Amino acid sequence: MPMIVCHGPKGGAGNTFVAAHLAMGLSAQGADVTVVSVAARDTLPLHFGLSPATSLPAITAPADEAVLVGGINLRSWRRAAEDLDFVPMLGELGYFQPGKERVLVVDVPSGETRLARRLIEHACAHVCTITAQPDTLALLPQVFGEAGAEGLARTAFVINALDETRRLGRHGAAFIRELAGSRLIGRIRLDEAVPEAIATLQTLGRYAPASVALSDVQQIAEAVAPTLDSTASAWVAPVSLAA
Amino acid sequence: MRIDARNLLDRLGRNEFAYKEFEDRFSDLELWPILEALLRDPRLQTLDQTNVENAAPEIESSDPELSAEPLKNLFSRYEQQSVSPSIAKSVVEEPARDVRAMLRHLSDLGARGEI
Ligand SMILES: Nc1ncnc2c1ncn2[C@@H]1O[C@H](COP(=O)(O)OP(=O)(O)OP(=O)(O)O)[C@@H](O)[C@H]1O
Ligand SMILES: [Mg+2]
Repeated sequence: MPMIVCHGPKGGAGNTFVAAHLAMGLSAQGADVTVVSVAARDTLPLHFGLSPATSLPAITAPADEAVLVGGINLRSWRRAAEDLDFVPMLGELGYFQPGKERVLVVDVPSGETRLARRLIEHACAHVCTITAQPDTLALLPQVFGEAGAEGLARTAFVINALDETRRLGRHGAAFIRELAGSRLIGRIRLDEAVPEAIATLQTLGRYAPASVALSDVQQIAEAVAPTLDSTASAWVAPVSLAA
Repeated sequence: MRIDARNLLDRLGRNEFAYKEFEDRFSDLELWPILEALLRDPRLQTLDQTNVENAAPEIESSDPELSAEPLKNLFSRYEQQSVSPSIAKSVVEEPARDVRAMLRHLSDLGARGEI
């Protein structure tokens, strides 16, 4: 069962939104998906149409405590950052094997850079969600420097909350595109339907089936799917899927 | 406002639409010194190196200056090594034209609606 790590350099970029919809997209493609949040303050359940009172069971909790939404198993592991046994435990649970059938998606908050690096070492893909805002662009040299060539080999970039009606947004996106080349696997447009769906306690797919952000993020799930079978340490999205 | 947009709005009988032409010029990109500052950072080379085997297809350009210097070379010509002081130095000394070439290229893509 391969693992996909969702982690971006800057908070609020939509990492949790993308993790949730990757899980839904891969599930729609037939995979048996577990999504685990390692955030101390967790908003993942909201993207599944769950109420704010929902508290996700630990990854080790028995099956009868599971929270399942559309067949997706939602879990948490709050002390992941301090827990040095977390990564070995995932390995023992079989989460690092390639294969399409069962998939683990991990939502790692932006601040947990060390945990993210430890996880990415074992992941089939690292999905790095960023906005095209200048303060996010400013973090990219540090991100690249810390990851090194080997870490970046597994990284696919996603631009989220893109507003193409704004000049700075277009320029920022063009800059990322030129920098990342085929590693940029897509962009998700800014769409009010995303927070509105949360406010109505519905999934985005249910609240706004025609949402542009929904179709954009579904394309990203399709672009990521081929990594599940990959045994190579490096993965680059097919050029045809690059945004 | 472009005439075709004007006609379309007239036919729709809607004049209250906000209309904006999305055209990016080279000079616009130069408006943001942060882009140039970032391009001077040697750490951004890392991604360029990992892209080498699987680089995006060559972008055709009618600009002879750019055709003579493919964009992906803009980084790789700073030597194929990881960050080191000597590279940092060469990046500071000689990149100005390259940075402008990249910004110009970005704005060309924008003008052709490819970004
Ligand atoms: N494409 C989009 N259009 C509009 N709003 C969006 C979009 N993507 C995400 N949002 C909204 O942006 C906010 C931040 O999203 P999210 O919680 O996924 O970010 P995050 O990167 O996980 O943040 P954190 O670093 O705090 O974990 C949320 O309110 C979400 O609803
Ligand atoms: Mg989050």
